[in-house]
Amino acid sequence: MIGDNDQPLVLIVDDDEAMRRSMAFLFSSIGLETNIFASAAELLQALPEPEHCRPGALVLDVRMPGMSGLELQRHLRDRDCPLPILIVTGHGDVPMAVEALKAGAFDFIEKPFKEQLLLDAVAAAIRLSRENLLRGARRRSVEERLARLGRRERDVLDGILAGKPNKVTAYELDLSIKTIEAYRASVMTKMEAGSLAELALMVSSVIDG
Amino acid sequence: MIRSLCAFVLLALVFAQAAEARDVTIAVLAFQGSERAVKDFEPTVAHLERTLPEHHFIVLPLDLAGIATAVEAKSIDFVITNPGEYVDLEYRFGATRLATLESRDHAVPTDTVGSTVVVPNRPGHAETFRDLAGLRLAVVATDAFGGWQVVSREMDEAGIATSKLAGVVETGFPMENVLAAIRSGQADAGVLRTCLLEDEIADGRVMADEFAVVAERAASDFPCRSSSRLYPDWPFARLAGTSPDLAKAVTASLLTMIPVEGRAWTAPQDYTSVHALFRQLRIGPYEYLARSTLMGFVRANWHWFLAAGLGLVWWIIHVARVETLVRRRTTELTREIQEREKAEQAARLHREERDQFSRLGILGEMASNIAHELNQPLAAITNYAEGITRLIDAGRTDPDILRDGARGIAGQAERAGVIIRRIRSFVRRRELRRENLDINEVVREALVLFEGPARRNDVPLHVHLAAGMPPLSADRIEIEQVLLNLLQNAVDAMSDPVARGRGIGVSTVRSGRTVEVAIRDHGTGLSPEVEAHLFDTFFTTKPQGLGLGLPICRTIVESHGGRLWATNEASGGITMRFTLPLPPEESR
Repeated sequence: MIGDNDQPLVLIVDDDEAMRRSMAFLFSSIGLETNIFASAAELLQALPEPEHCRPGALVLDVRMPGMSGLELQRHLRDRDCPLPILIVTGHGDVPMAVEALKAGAFDFIEKPFKEQLLLDAVAAAIRLSRENLLRGARRRSVEERLARLGRRERDVLDGILAGKPNKVTAYELDLSIKTIEAYRASVMTKMEAGSLAELALMVSSVIDG
Repeated sequence: MIRSLCAFVLLALVFAQAAEARDVTIAVLAFQGSERAVKDFEPTVAHLERTLPEHHFIVLPLDLAGIATAVEAKSIDFVITNPGEYVDLEYRFGATRLATLESRDHAVPTDTVGSTVVVPNRPGHAETFRDLAGLRLAVVATDAFGGWQVVSREMDEAGIATSKLAGVVETGFPMENVLAAIRSGQADAGVLRTCLLEDEIADGRVMADEFAVVAERAASDFPCRSSSRLYPDWPFARLAGTSPDLAKAVTASLLTMIPVEGRAWTAPQDYTSVHALFRQLRIGPYEYLARSTLMGFVRANWHWFLAAGLGLVWWIIHVARVETLVRRRTTELTREIQEREKAEQAARLHREERDQFSRLGILGEMASNIAHELNQPLAAITNYAEGITRLIDAGRTDPDILRDGARGIAGQAERAGVIIRRIRSFVRRRELRRENLDINEVVREALVLFEGPARRNDVPLHVHLAAGMPPLSADRIEIEQVLLNLLQNAVDAMSDPVARGRGIGVSTVRSGRTVEVAIRDHGTGLSPEVEAHLFDTFFTTKPQGLGLGLPICRTIVESHGGRLWATNEASGGITMRFTLPLPPEESR
């Protein structure tokens, strides 16, 4: 679900209070809202709130006590509205970077870093997050519309997507061509499609994933 | 009427028969078989029948148990038995002796019996019962009274168990067989009924000095040589239920009997000595008496035995339990001690390692952690500073927000300062402790500590220590720290294996009023820029370095009144040198 708030939100997880506070200060200086967490567990507790399903990014220190950043990343991957994850660490080493990126991290930044680098990476992550959310929202909307179709309408839609002429569909479904045409109009209305091309694009985005 | 008459006649008939020809039963102990017993006492019975014709005497041969049963059942009138059983019957059933058997078939007639133990009369022959130990003893039979049991008692009293004998040879009757066994060598000694030896000598069958008597007793009124005390011969006894008249008649008859085959009857003897013998040996009638007495005692005192038994069982369990507990606890203790020793050893090892680590690695090994620690406040400071800059650039100069950022910077700078102070205090964590040192010795100690890292890095050490170094006053640990830092730097300076192969040179030399220590590497040398900042705090060329090692080294050396400097070598690499002053009195 998309929250009402469309403003991006940066989540910061770092066990060092000074680090998370100073990062929050830096992000707020360019007008980004932040939420800071001392541990992965703290973040996971806050996650179910719908508010956090906003465009944004997660800035994560990998080598934290308790649940490691990589573990948290694995937890987050299966979430409804996944956040791009920026791994930040002072202990940067190649194997850890490889593992983090393999596990789906958006980027990997080694401390000490140039602030511009971090800000650019966060901005990129937020863009990606927006796109993800939009795509997700669009898909859910198509799915909702598809769910509105009756059984006959669904059959007719399948016929349209397969490129079959109305009479072939009518023959296969043992219905009159007039009835098929009526269903077809109903499908276009319910799917809120202006054209056949739009309808095909809409449905294929759901089917392809 | 007729019935009562019939009953009267019948009764009268029974009485008449009883009065006229009553059977008198004499039980005889058949210790050599029933026939022998009947035959032995046939003359006595014949004499009794002749003198007392109104009675019919029957000889009933029985064994010991049979006699006891018969007496208890009151089915016999008289008994002829051995002295042992007689005293038992007397005690239990009130039997009374009427006469004692007299043996007149010997040269010397006697109514008492004893035993004579004989051995061949050779020099050194056995003289006491104790001397019989290890000898084979011939006896007529082991259940014979005069032939064995009497001697058994004497041996028992003399303190020699019959088991000490090499063996007991049973010859069987007649008793002359015992002498034959000794003569043939089957036995070393023999037991004879008293007076048999005198009989044999009188008959000329034995030479007077052929045998010697063992443990001979002096007995003034007894005509034969004896090794034992004397006991009365077999008695003829009446039982409690026997009619006194019959007993009187039988006694009279017995005492008037003419000896037949050497057997006759004489006045009754005293049998208490027999009683004592059987009781002592716990044989014959006293075997079961003793047993039944013991059983009776147990039965009478069963609760005490039960208590004692339970006590014993409890004690055994207690002992076993204590033993098990002790053993288990011992095992546990042993294991605990071993574990503690192991733990202590591990702790000692760890302590030693840590000491060495802190002296060796001091900053180098901890650099990574310290770097991370310092990185945090530095990164935070940068974030705040960047944030403030951006806010100002964007014209968002809200003082509260800016103040937050500035406070953040101040806080983190303070934090970084604390970390630095901590490192400082860690490095110089104690007071200087000066002592008189041989600089060569300190160098050698440092080299021992450095052996491991040098070997790990395949860096040979070339050591040239000048002889005859005067002692100097310095802090051993601090000088070692300097040496170790310089050695580590030398290794770090040589990343190229070829350079490493050329090794590190370590030398000491006296130079005027100072001692100079030099550590030379074969690395790439110092660029002018590096040389300029070599001793600057936080200047480093190492990826994990802090830039603290050389400044600290220089501080230490200078606090000792010395100098630390670096020189590029023309052939490659550098030499780090430091001097330490000699005390004034030494340079005089």
